[in-house]
Amino acid sequence: MNNVKPHILIVDDEKGLLSGTKRLLESEGYITYATESGLEGLELARQNELDLALIDLKMPDMNGIEVLKEIKKIQPNTVCFIATAFASYDTAIESTKLGAYSYIPKPFTPEELIHQLERGYEKRLMILEAERLKKEREERLLEVAYEKTRLRTIINSINEGVLVVNKGGELVLFNSSAVKFLDLNELYIGDVILDILPSQISGLIKKYIESDDYLPNSYSTQIDLRTNRELCIDATCSPVPDTNGKLAGIVTVLKNITEQVKYEEIKSQFVSMVAHELKAPVAAVTGFIKLILDDSITKSKVQEKDYLNRSYTRLQGLIAMVNDLLDISRMELKNKQREIKELDIIPLINSVIEFMEFELKKKNIKVEFNVNTSCTILKADQNELNRLFTNILSNGIKYNKDNGSIKIDVNRSGTYQVIKIEDTGIGLKPEEKKKLFQEFYRAKNEKTQNISGTGLGLSIVKRIIDSYNGKIEVDSEYGIGTNFIIYFPVGD
Amino acid sequence: MALIAIIDDDPDIIDASTLVLKSKGYQVITATNPKDGYDIVMQNKPDLIILDVMMDEPDDGFFLAQRFRKENVNTPILMYSSVSKTVGMEYGPGELVPVDDFVEKPISPEELIQKVGRLLGHLQDKE
Repeated sequence: MNNVKPHILIVDDEKGLLSGTKRLLESEGYITYATESGLEGLELARQNELDLALIDLKMPDMNGIEVLKEIKKIQPNTVCFIATAFASYDTAIESTKLGAYSYIPKPFTPEELIHQLERGYEKRLMILEAERLKKEREERLLEVAYEKTRLRTIINSINEGVLVVNKGGELVLFNSSAVKFLDLNELYIGDVILDILPSQISGLIKKYIESDDYLPNSYSTQIDLRTNRELCIDATCSPVPDTNGKLAGIVTVLKNITEQVKYEEIKSQFVSMVAHELKAPVAAVTGFIKLILDDSITKSKVQEKDYLNRSYTRLQGLIAMVNDLLDISRMELKNKQREIKELDIIPLINSVIEFMEFELKKKNIKVEFNVNTSCTILKADQNELNRLFTNILSNGIKYNKDNGSIKIDVNRSGTYQVIKIEDTGIGLKPEEKKKLFQEFYRAKNEKTQNISGTGLGLSIVKRIIDSYNGKIEVDSEYGIGTNFIIYFPVGD
Repeated sequence: MALIAIIDDDPDIIDASTLVLKSKGYQVITATNPKDGYDIVMQNKPDLIILDVMMDEPDDGFFLAQRFRKENVNTPILMYSSVSKTVGMEYGPGELVPVDDFVEKPISPEELIQKVGRLLGHLQDKE
């Protein structure tokens, strides 16, 4: 017997024999479950994994044959022995028919018993090994049977469209994304699809099919499938070789790149806008300098001085714009440089007002600051909030009239800090209001001609508020003033 | 002497151009937006229009030029351009855009004088 100890159930109503057998088997290394009752024996069989069972045929509460039947139901692989003093050919036959491995005539010698049980245990081990092999084989069969389904599931679950055609141009494999990307209602295996595919894709596939040699390379193309950049896809075709290295088919992978294309467009528009805005002051200054240097053009000393002053102003504006642009690009990297902490917004706004004192005095603008709530703490980056209120307030001053006023109201509404900034400035025309937060937009009318600015201040404000998932509203009447209402989430 | 209308939203560009043109004896009228620009052209019938391609909108100078031509204002137009090439609006003279020539900013006095002179001379030849 190996290190593993066989588990054996012994059911016998003869107390002396039961305890004797138990002692004998334990000394031989068996783990025993012994009972005088057939019913209790069944209970033990339900609770323990049994290798062997030794069952007395005649018991007062339950016939040994019945116990055998029940145990076989509970644990079919347990090797059972029937022990009987009334050994007869018939009972032996009957018990083996019912699943007993063998029967042991009573009285038996310890050697007889051990010999029988050892043979039984060998049988038990064989049964277990056979079971294991059977299970393994079944699993492997299932695996093979499901491999196709599994591949199908994998291909169907990826976002990229997949389309495989054989060298006859017939559809061999596809997934639902491919159907969706190509705007087709239905596709069937075996369809000849080269004519249904966008010509750019079928062109690539034909390249493989029509070539005499095996082309190992992949080819890509980008297609605007609908108008107005609604759906742009990248199609990449690659050859699928057979076992001999000859062309078996072509796999096409379709990727949705609409967002990427749109992003590229926005980026290039932004870059050309930046270029235009940067070039305007440079062009003006260059123009003035050329005028001053050009001796063939007559001008007075006063005029020259004026041009130099104006050049200086334009260059100051250029520097301010470059700084704003740097701020915007810093904001794009916000998550790395941001420090979110609890802030009291009241001292923060007060310090911004203080910072603007010179400009306020210059135009004699009064600031009225009302705090209508006791909740003024929110979570944000201090530098960003400083920038936000500085930009809004500086607009409120720049576009205000002399002796005007600015009113700031702080409220709390649910999870939002609501800050309202009201000025008595020149206000906005309805068409100007729509473009207010666009990069480089500056309201141009008779009243704004002499006000300088980069056109980036409010777009920075909006970027900051958006990055906290807040909201900014503007309400304005031309000639009367402008109200900004900021809804800033206070954070958890 | 010829009358020239300058329409550009940058007052510094207007002033510099004005000085250059006046120094050569031209008369100059100016406007800083497309609407005023249209008005001064219709009222004063200048001999040449200098028009910035990009004012409130990236191409409103272009649309103003189209409007003049549609309304049979056939005055030669010299267009000031800045970054229009990178925005994808690269035109040769007279092609697509109904203007007669371009000057790229920053404006060089010699180039401006030379192109203005040519356009006005061309006009006189026709008459």
